[in-house]
Amino acid sequence: MARILKKRIREAFLAYVLLAPSFVVFAIFVFYPFLKNIEIPFYSHTGCRGFGVNRVCAEEFVGFSVWREILASNEFAHSLWVTLKFTFLTVPAGIGLGLVLAVIAHARLRGITIYRTIFSSTVATSAAVASVIFFSLMNPRAGIWRLHIDGIPILEHPTWALPAVAVVATWQSLGLAFIVMSSGLQALPDEVLEAAAIDGAGPFRRFARVTLPLMGPILFFAFVVGSISAFKTFAEIDLLTPGGGTSDSTKVLAYGVYEAGFASGDQVRAAVFATGLFICVLLLTLAQLRLERRVKYAR
Amino acid sequence: MGQVALTHVTKKFGNLPAVADVSLVVEDAEFLVLLGPSGCGKSTLLRMIAGLEDVTEGVIEIDQKMVNEVEPKDRDLAMVFQSYALYPHLTVRRNIEFPLRTRKVGRSERKRLVADAAEALGLSELLDRKPAQLSGGQRQRVALGRAIVRQPKAFLLDEPLSNLDAKLRVQTRAELVALQRRLKTTMIYVTHDQVEAMTMGQRVAILRDGVLQQVAPPAEVYDRPANAFVAGFIGTPPMNLFDAVVDGGTVNVGNSRLPLGELWNTPAGEYTAGIRPEHLTIIGADPGDGALRGTVEFVESLGHERHVHVRSDCGAILVVRHSSHLAIPVPSELVGLHVATNCIHIFDKATGDRFGGTDS
Repeated sequence: MARILKKRIREAFLAYVLLAPSFVVFAIFVFYPFLKNIEIPFYSHTGCRGFGVNRVCAEEFVGFSVWREILASNEFAHSLWVTLKFTFLTVPAGIGLGLVLAVIAHARLRGITIYRTIFSSTVATSAAVASVIFFSLMNPRAGIWRLHIDGIPILEHPTWALPAVAVVATWQSLGLAFIVMSSGLQALPDEVLEAAAIDGAGPFRRFARVTLPLMGPILFFAFVVGSISAFKTFAEIDLLTPGGGTSDSTKVLAYGVYEAGFASGDQVRAAVFATGLFICVLLLTLAQLRLERRVKYAR
Repeated sequence: MGQVALTHVTKKFGNLPAVADVSLVVEDAEFLVLLGPSGCGKSTLLRMIAGLEDVTEGVIEIDQKMVNEVEPKDRDLAMVFQSYALYPHLTVRRNIEFPLRTRKVGRSERKRLVADAAEALGLSELLDRKPAQLSGGQRQRVALGRAIVRQPKAFLLDEPLSNLDAKLRVQTRAELVALQRRLKTTMIYVTHDQVEAMTMGQRVAILRDGVLQQVAPPAEVYDRPANAFVAGFIGTPPMNLFDAVVDGGTVNVGNSRLPLGELWNTPAGEYTAGIRPEHLTIIGADPGDGALRGTVEFVESLGHERHVHVRSDCGAILVVRHSSHLAIPVPSELVGLHVATNCIHIFDKATGDRFGGTDS
C-alpha cells in the first residue's frame, strides 16, 4: 500500500516537473497579464507623474464603478453592435461560400485538383496582404473598383464601409472555410448518400436532407470558430478603415481595445474593452460546448 | 415484374477490368445469389445494376428496358448495404419513411406502410429511436424495412448479414428467405459466404476475377461444378483436387487405378481429378485395386464429424469426411480410401473446365 502511494507521489512529482516550464511561460505571458488586465479597472489612478516606464500614479480602489461606467457607455455598446453586425456579415457568408465551393470541388471532374488548389489558396494569404490587395483595388483614385456610394468612396462611407471590410475578411477566410467544409464532405459515408440516391432522392434533396444534416457538426464548428475569429478581427479594420471608419462605423471591439490602449493611452478603458471581448468569446465557447452534443450523432 | 438482364456487361476501373463480359438473366421473383471470393467483382456488378457505377460495356435491362443511363433513383430498386447505410440523423420511422417521402406518398399511406413494414420486421417498438441506439441486428432490420416499405422491382442486397454474429446470421438468413417468398420480388444477393449462397439462393452465380463461372441451382453447383475453381470454392471442406492420368476408363493416381464409371469415355491424358470429402471412405490398409492408399496426417474433430487429412500415395493431401461414431484414425496410420461410384470429377488441366458429367 505504502509502496503504491510512494510510486504515485513520484509519478505526480515527475508530471509537475515536466509541466513546470509550460506553466511558467503561460503564467508570465498569459495568466499574469490577464489577471492584471482585470485588476486595472478596479483602481483609479490619480496624481500621475512622469512618462513611460517612469510614470507613477497614486492608486485608489474604486470597485465596479469604472466597469459599470464603461460597459454601460454608448461607445462600448456601439463597438459591440458593430462587432455583431460584422460577425453576422462574415460568418454565414463564409460558411455558405465555403460549402458551395467544397460541393463543387467534391465533384469527380477532370482537373478538379486545380480548382481545389485555387479555392484553398487564401489560406496562405495573411489578413494584412488581403487588406492591402483590396485597399489597392478599392482605392478611390487608382483602384480598379473605384466604388462610390452617394459620391463617397466605399471605404469611407458610414454605412457601406463595414460590409466592404466584411467582404475582404470573408474572402480572406474562405480558404480555411473551404478546407473545413471539404474535409467534412469527404468524411461523409458514401454509402449513406448512395442509399439516398437509390431511395429516390435527387441531387438537391440528397444535399438538403442528407448531406446538410450530416454536416451539422462541421457547420456548427465552422460557425463557432468563425464567430470567435470575427470577434477578434483587427487587421482588416485597421488597414482598410484606419481610425475605425467614418463615424466609428467599423470600430469593432478589438479595434476599440487598440484605439483606447494605444491611440488614446487610456489603459483602463482598454482593459474593460478587452475583458468585454474576452467574455463574448468565452460565451461563444461555452455555447459551443453546450450545443455540441445536440448537433452530434453517433454513426 | 422485376426481371434483371445483363448482356456482356463489363466494368473497368482505368485499364483494370473488375467485371468482364457477364451475361445473366435474373427472372422475376427469383432469389439469385452472386457468390465469389473478395475482389471478384460481385459488389461492382450489384452496384452497376443499382446505377451506382457506370457500365463500361454491355447492357443492363430491368423489365426489358435498358437502364444504363437511368439514374439510380429512377430504376425503382431497393438496396441493403453491408454497412446498412442508415441515415444517422433520422429516427427509425423517418429512415423507413425516406423512400416514400421522396416519392411523395401521402401522409396517411406513409404511416400505414411504415407500420406494416415495422410490424413485419418486429420494429414497431423502435420507431422513435435513432440508429445509434440500436444493436447491429436491429439496424440490419431497419435497412431491410427501408427496402421493403415500398414494392420495388428488385431488391439488391450487398452482404447484409456479414456484420451480424453467427447465431443472428443463421436466424436472419431464414427470415430473409421467408420474406422473399412472401413478397415474391426479385432479390439479388451478394455474398462471399457459400453457406448463405447454398441455403438461400434459388440459383447461385459464381464469379472469379470478374468472370462468371457458373449459374445454376445450389445442388447443381455442388454436384456438377462447371470447373475446378467452382469445385474448390463450394463445399466445406472443399473438393479434393489432384493431378491424375486418365487411361482406358480409369484414373491413375500414384499406384492406384480408380474406375471412372460414367466417365469411362474420357480421352486418355493428364487431368485434374476431384473427389468430395464425403465420397471417400476410410477402409483397411490394403484395399486392393480400385481404391486409394495413404497415410493419416492429422484429424480435425468438429463434434458431429471428423475431417481426416490423408497424404495419398500420389503426394496430394486428401480430406475425408469421417463420421464421429466410427473409430478415429491415428496419425501415421496407413489407410485405404474407397471412392464412391461415379463420384470422380474430371477437369481439364489447362482450362479447369469440367469434362463430361457425374451425378452424385
